[in-house]
Amino acid sequence: MADLIIAEPAATLSRAGRYQRQDRYFQWLTGGFALFVLLLLGGIVLSILDGAWPALRQFGFGFLVTETWNPVTEKFGALAPIFGTLVTSIIAMLVGVPLGFGIALFLTERCPPVLKRPLGIAVELLAGIPSIIYGIWGLFVLAPFLQHHVQPFLIDTLGELPWIGALFQGPPYGIGVLTAGLILGIMVLPFITAITRDVFDTVPPLLRESAYGLGCTTWEVVWNVVLPYTRAGVVGGIMLGLGRALGETMAVTFVIGNAHRISGSLLAPGTTISAAIANEFTEATGDLYTSSLIALGLLLFVITFGVLTAARLMLRHLERRRGA
Amino acid sequence: MMQQTSLQMAPPAMATDATSAKVSIRRLNFHYGSFHALRDINLDLREREVTAFIGASGSGKSTLLRVLNRIYDLYPGQRAEGEVLLDGQNILSPRQDPNLLRARVGMVFQKPTPFPMTIHDNIAFGIKLYERLGRTELEARVEQALRDAALWDEVKDKLQQSGLSLSGGQQQRLCIARAIATRPAVLLLDEPTSALDPISTAKCEELIDQLKDRYTIAIVTHNMQQATRISDWTAFMHLGELVEFGDTEQVFTRPRESRTEDYVTGRFG
Repeated sequence: MADLIIAEPAATLSRAGRYQRQDRYFQWLTGGFALFVLLLLGGIVLSILDGAWPALRQFGFGFLVTETWNPVTEKFGALAPIFGTLVTSIIAMLVGVPLGFGIALFLTERCPPVLKRPLGIAVELLAGIPSIIYGIWGLFVLAPFLQHHVQPFLIDTLGELPWIGALFQGPPYGIGVLTAGLILGIMVLPFITAITRDVFDTVPPLLRESAYGLGCTTWEVVWNVVLPYTRAGVVGGIMLGLGRALGETMAVTFVIGNAHRISGSLLAPGTTISAAIANEFTEATGDLYTSSLIALGLLLFVITFGVLTAARLMLRHLERRRGA
Repeated sequence: MMQQTSLQMAPPAMATDATSAKVSIRRLNFHYGSFHALRDINLDLREREVTAFIGASGSGKSTLLRVLNRIYDLYPGQRAEGEVLLDGQNILSPRQDPNLLRARVGMVFQKPTPFPMTIHDNIAFGIKLYERLGRTELEARVEQALRDAALWDEVKDKLQQSGLSLSGGQQQRLCIARAIATRPAVLLLDEPTSALDPISTAKCEELIDQLKDRYTIAIVTHNMQQATRISDWTAFMHLGELVEFGDTEQVFTRPRESRTEDYVTGRFG
């Protein structure tokens, strides 16, 4: 008995020492993993910078504002792909955000329980379709449909209006910036829907009931209570969708027409950064050509990073204005 | 119908008949899906008096309250049968617009539920839903509601701060202010002090006592001292049935039913 009493503290001490050592190892291990991400990111940025350097040195700031993209004379400018990337993403957001919101609102506020699961699963399946399938469907189904049935109508109606008429000029090719934007809109829809639905579900039932209890309609509850309460998550969902729209390659390459040209009309062919890279990397002969493509990649990286940062800053601003 | 939609009207200063029924519940049955939660309830809420609902958990008192503003409508599978007359109009009728009803029957919940907006907007929001007011008039209404809820002195310098920045007791009084800002006819309080400390609870009770001059109040409470302190009438419920209903003093001191006596003396529940 006496042995035990004396032995116990020693045993406890040694166990404590072992746990401390284990904890330390564990911290090193997980810390190492975290560090690895930073190294990876840094390595990618550095190698892209390195690859893009010849083009940036050759063209300087002019690379950003030049529309010409001529492999023969080796004159490269990124303005057309940047323009195409931004315009297709804006169209995608104009389509995806309202639709995604609408679906998420229906699913959380209005949907009969029997429909809730099937609809939710359908939305998630939409997210699981590989982008090549969206591309092929866009090229063989959506583009001809738009060409024959939608674009002539747009040209005849909206095309005749002042101001916005300029957006709907030219022959109906089927493929083009508008088609690419619509495909992107469909592709980002499930992301926006799934995330906004999940964050709408986090609103406490009592908060919702309090708003209904004042005599609010569903729309008033959503606009004044649900959306402000879930703002951070909703912005996150939109940004995830926007990130995908900016970087999506395959489907866009199929339907955008791949023309290094800036046109005022949405019906005209164009290109995006990722579509240009995907189309041309195999035929990029010459260092300057390759380097220009890598510089395009760098720009995409910068744009995506800029969008995410802007979203963060916007959220912080909103939080401050709410006076929390 | 005209009378139902005229929300601008404040409750009249004096009733001609002090004990007239504001709300009459007749043969009310309630189902959650296949579960029969309320059985044949008959009860009157008297105008400008406080009616307390007591009973063990699951006795149906909160359910009864949730029928009175039809908040149960939000959930499929929940349904009420019978009649609930508010000023003689059956609010369970399909012709009754639930949003208009809820604007006349304010509710405060177990936990404070400030909206994610400023203190000022928490109050102004409900008013603006149904009334078009000029700026000065709106500000006056916000101030009045906060004064009525005994919160004005504590928040008058920080109206533009978030409602979430207040303490729990203040948040709950903010919710009461929000509920009375729209000048409802009836006020439903579902265990309003269950999440509050004793001092905040005392303030809320004092507030309820003042509000009953102008509002018909129904309160669900687990605290029997609270029921005796603030209510004029007490309804004891058990397993979905109304066991006893009467004058608060009579229910607590000379209950007619042995089940009521057991509950109020703490032998079960």
